[in-house]
Amino acid sequence: MDAVQLIPTPDILQVPWGWFQGLLTVTFFLHLLVMNILLGCSLITFFRHVAGKNTDVNKAIAKKLPITVAFAVNFGVAPLLFVQVIYGHFMYASSVLMAIYWLSIFVILIFSYYSTYIYSMNFDKIVDFHTILTGFIAGTLLAVTFIFTTNFSLMTNIAAWPEYFNNPEGTLLNLSDPSFYPRFLHSVFGAVAVGGMAIALFYDFKKRKGENGADDGIAIGMNWFAGATMLNFGIGSWYWGSLPEYVRELGGAGSAFFLIFIFLGIVAAIFSLIYGMRHEVRPAVYYLLAALFCMVLVREFARRLTLAPWFKTSDLEVVAQYSPLIVFLVVFAGGLGVIYYMIRLVLTDKGARS
Amino acid sequence: MNYPVWLLDVFGGGTLIALIAVVHVYVAHFAVGGGLFLVFTEMKGLREESPAILEYTRKHARFFLLLTMVFGGLTGVAIWFTIALLSPAGTSSLIHTFVFAWAIEWVFFLGEIVALLLYYYKFNKISSKNHLILGWIYFACAWLSLFVINGVIDYMLTPGEWLNNQNFWSGFFNPTFWPALFFRTFLALMIAGLFGFLTSVNIKDDVMRHKMVRYCGLWLMIPLVLLLASAVWYKAALPLPQQEMIFTKSPEMKPFLSGFIFISPLLFAGGLLMAAFRPQAVTRSVAVVLFLLGFLYMGCFEFMREGGRRPYIIHDYMYSTSILKADLEDVQKKGVLQSSRWVKNRIITPENRMDAGAELNMILCLPCHSTGGPLNDMIPIARRFTPEGMEAFLLGIGNANPYMPPFAGTSAEATVLAEYLTTVLVPGFTSVEPEIQPLFVVPAPFSAESSEYVLLAGATLGTILYSEPEESGIDLSYGAPVIRAQLIFRDESPSVILDGAVVRYSIKTGDGDVKGEMEAKDGYFEATLGEIPRPVQPYQPFFIAEISAEVDGTIVAATQAKIGVSTEIGCRNCHGGSWRQDGRSGMSRATASGILALHDKWSNTNLSDDFNKGKTVVCSSCHADYSRATEGQPGLLSLSTAIHGYHAGFISSDNSCVLCHSSSDTGASHSFDGIHKQLELLCSDCHGTLPDHAASLLKQEKDKGQAQKLLSLVQNKVQMDIVEINPRASWIMEPDCLTCHVDFQPPETDTAFNSWTEDEAGLFHNRVGEGGAVLCSSCHGQPHSLYPADNRYGKRIGALQPMQYQDNPYPIAANEGCAVCHTTEMADEMHHPGSLATFRNQE
Repeated sequence: MDAVQLIPTPDILQVPWGWFQGLLTVTFFLHLLVMNILLGCSLITFFRHVAGKNTDVNKAIAKKLPITVAFAVNFGVAPLLFVQVIYGHFMYASSVLMAIYWLSIFVILIFSYYSTYIYSMNFDKIVDFHTILTGFIAGTLLAVTFIFTTNFSLMTNIAAWPEYFNNPEGTLLNLSDPSFYPRFLHSVFGAVAVGGMAIALFYDFKKRKGENGADDGIAIGMNWFAGATMLNFGIGSWYWGSLPEYVRELGGAGSAFFLIFIFLGIVAAIFSLIYGMRHEVRPAVYYLLAALFCMVLVREFARRLTLAPWFKTSDLEVVAQYSPLIVFLVVFAGGLGVIYYMIRLVLTDKGARS
Repeated sequence: MNYPVWLLDVFGGGTLIALIAVVHVYVAHFAVGGGLFLVFTEMKGLREESPAILEYTRKHARFFLLLTMVFGGLTGVAIWFTIALLSPAGTSSLIHTFVFAWAIEWVFFLGEIVALLLYYYKFNKISSKNHLILGWIYFACAWLSLFVINGVIDYMLTPGEWLNNQNFWSGFFNPTFWPALFFRTFLALMIAGLFGFLTSVNIKDDVMRHKMVRYCGLWLMIPLVLLLASAVWYKAALPLPQQEMIFTKSPEMKPFLSGFIFISPLLFAGGLLMAAFRPQAVTRSVAVVLFLLGFLYMGCFEFMREGGRRPYIIHDYMYSTSILKADLEDVQKKGVLQSSRWVKNRIITPENRMDAGAELNMILCLPCHSTGGPLNDMIPIARRFTPEGMEAFLLGIGNANPYMPPFAGTSAEATVLAEYLTTVLVPGFTSVEPEIQPLFVVPAPFSAESSEYVLLAGATLGTILYSEPEESGIDLSYGAPVIRAQLIFRDESPSVILDGAVVRYSIKTGDGDVKGEMEAKDGYFEATLGEIPRPVQPYQPFFIAEISAEVDGTIVAATQAKIGVSTEIGCRNCHGGSWRQDGRSGMSRATASGILALHDKWSNTNLSDDFNKGKTVVCSSCHADYSRATEGQPGLLSLSTAIHGYHAGFISSDNSCVLCHSSSDTGASHSFDGIHKQLELLCSDCHGTLPDHAASLLKQEKDKGQAQKLLSLVQNKVQMDIVEINPRASWIMEPDCLTCHVDFQPPETDTAFNSWTEDEAGLFHNRVGEGGAVLCSSCHGQPHSLYPADNRYGKRIGALQPMQYQDNPYPIAANEGCAVCHTTEMADEMHHPGSLATFRNQE
């Protein structure tokens, strides 16, 4: 069975693919950021509970977890939408192959999400259950990570697709792909790193407001960040090595960008690490954001290079209809304006019911 | 075609999307209506300066947050995941058409989240004015997200001008957009009331509780009235095909329609109950019941909306099988297996037939049918069919049952899929061709030298179909056999004897011996049996009647006649059940039950009730039947017209007659066994194909009953232009032998369809030769069993009288055998031109 003939025919675009790629990149970056904070902080608070360390760091995480889930999910919707426009013909196929796992995500997330509310709203009352509860939260989020990693690696692993004929019941995974485990671990350790940085940033704000004990919080956050990042250099190399040779070698379309952004991302991560270990939070954050953004671009180029033998986004047919895009951009700008207005409204409010 | 199919069984048939979507939509409508509810209730609390109301609002907001943000939001994402798994092609089409609609919806979703989080967490912590602003912004975002998703959902049912111009705005602002928007808005407000009950019934303070419960009741009842008005608008906005699909053409829709209509007043009554009764026990229970009723209400509506779209996923554009309407013809030519990517068995071979069948099932059937599950379960459907019945059904699908798409494959694929569905998916069907025990009959004696008389006899019809009503519970039979005899005095100038002769018959039947005396009529003796006798067992599709003639008390002639009575009526090919006897004959109660169930479903009758109570259902009591001499009920088609007219809409096959009539080559009756069969003529050569046959009957009764509807269903299936098909009355206007045998000569054509006998006098069994005395059937045998009939039960069983009188199986007096009656050779072709010719089809 020649797997290439299984690749579905894509549908027509309304505007050139670059628009969708751009929107995908930006919204995925935002999702990655929030999702990393969510997963990372869940893992950090769990390990802290396991180690018997229960301080205001845990409580601060607990209070923020539900809202982080809300935004992680919301920011996940947009890139999932845009990736389906330009890569849907790969993604729908891989989704069907692993259908049961893919569909279980929303069930897992419902349990996970409600658990964060239990953790948040009853933090002081359920001291005895902190470890189990956060273990459950972290575990369910890791399961979701696993499933997402499976789908997005399977969607480009065409060679695995014919396995469908042995099992069309939606229970295929992508464990035989050499890049699967390093990809998964890279995501998890990256999340822990970002989670640690988020904790550090949170306490940096407190420090600037003059609150006591903020330095401890910064230290805790930065320790996690640094440890995870150092390990991630190793995992990243493993990941790099596990990619198909034709993706790694120079010469493919976009391969130069691929290598450049890997290089820039690593450099930014190193700078972030250095500032982080020195507890200089703001520069560490900026470099981390830069590193993340580079890695988002690396991800996009890796996908392009992997699929290049069979598909290029420039192959996608366009029958132009710009008005929906324009209306979206207007609504988006308006929406951001309304959000800005609401936040300002609350921040400038004189307080309490009048 | 383009994508792999997720193999589901119990959870197939749309069960997943039905569950996830109805649950989500219920909560999502609450997320919209509840937004306005929060703002209004807060305003009420401020207006009445009631901290209790404000506290209730805050608590309700918390419930609202926890339910809609988590469960509502995630089940919404779940719908998206589910549709992409169940219909990747459909989802891809929607995503590529409406990506920016969803992107816009996402902005509103984001606004909702921020607004709701701020609204709840800043409750009582910011000024009332600002807090209310947040609430209004939340509601606006929620309603706008409804606005957007409404456009996409309604597009799927009524794409409108998008079909012609592919314009986003034409698709978005489609024919049902506005009525549906109003409908859903009112529904959202109602649901806000229903969810409001859940929280308000738990208010501890009696007075406050009653006040807020009544308040929620207003939210339920007032929008409900407006909802019903917008429902009328919604229905009116539906294009005719979609409207018909929901309200008339899809029997499965009835329970959901009834549910929606029935629950509406229940909800209103519930609201009144809640307003009237104070005790918490009552209101708590009623609140839960109303909550569940609301869920069912929502479910009924969504099932109707989805059902109206059948057989499409995007109406008039993409079928639920993911095949584009525009591509259907190409796929039918090329084959489904060749046109699909995710297929292993592209070419059907003897080895992979059932694997190919399984793949066809996955692509064509599983998008809508579950296997063993609660929705659209294939198994009871497939279980009703034999492979032949299923094949005919598949080839004709989508016509009389328009909620099904037309069969998208080649006829070879239909055969393979039919076999798979009826032998593998529902294992247990085994087709066993019955072993036929030959019958030997010693002809009655005749001496060419000494016998004085010749007795020629037979039934008017070749075979009577008999449904054994006492055993099966359904009486679908023809009228009882009519036997005729002609006693001919042998002479150079013979005469047909009527006066002074007594002709008797004695028939060994499954009911014992049936005897009687025949009555002298105008030119022949005739007897109509009182009732149809049961076949002899082991099964024989005919009786051998001993006929004898007496003159002056002495038997002067005797003969045997084959009287055809068959119980091999093929209803079980599609209606389930098995043969009642020996796997070869007899209608079973199970089959009768299957027939009546479908009759009830499609014609809104209640015959299954009578049947289950032990009554026998007699088809000809409602549908006039000439052969049973019944008038039927006024306004209903005659039985032949109804049965042929109806089935013509459903089945398509080259030789569909054998699916019902007892002339299958692999059956136990072989009722079509005469010379025309041996010459390999088909039923349709004289009677037309089923659609043509049905059209001729329907046109005769075109102003009655469902004739026009049934004519519309066959008009694309007839072989002859329907305008040119001549109407005919059943039983009376039949194919005329002389259409092919012009002037009794060898046939000029082999198609006798569309030229009918004018009346009964023209029927073969009523006609006489040009001589005026001898019935055609006396010499030529019975219709469908014309001499030389070669029956599977015995080479000469179908030619008893020719063998008796002339020791050959050909028509009486064939090959210049005039001496049978004339005692000598004759020179004049008195009976009809060609009667002296050598029989052309000698063995």
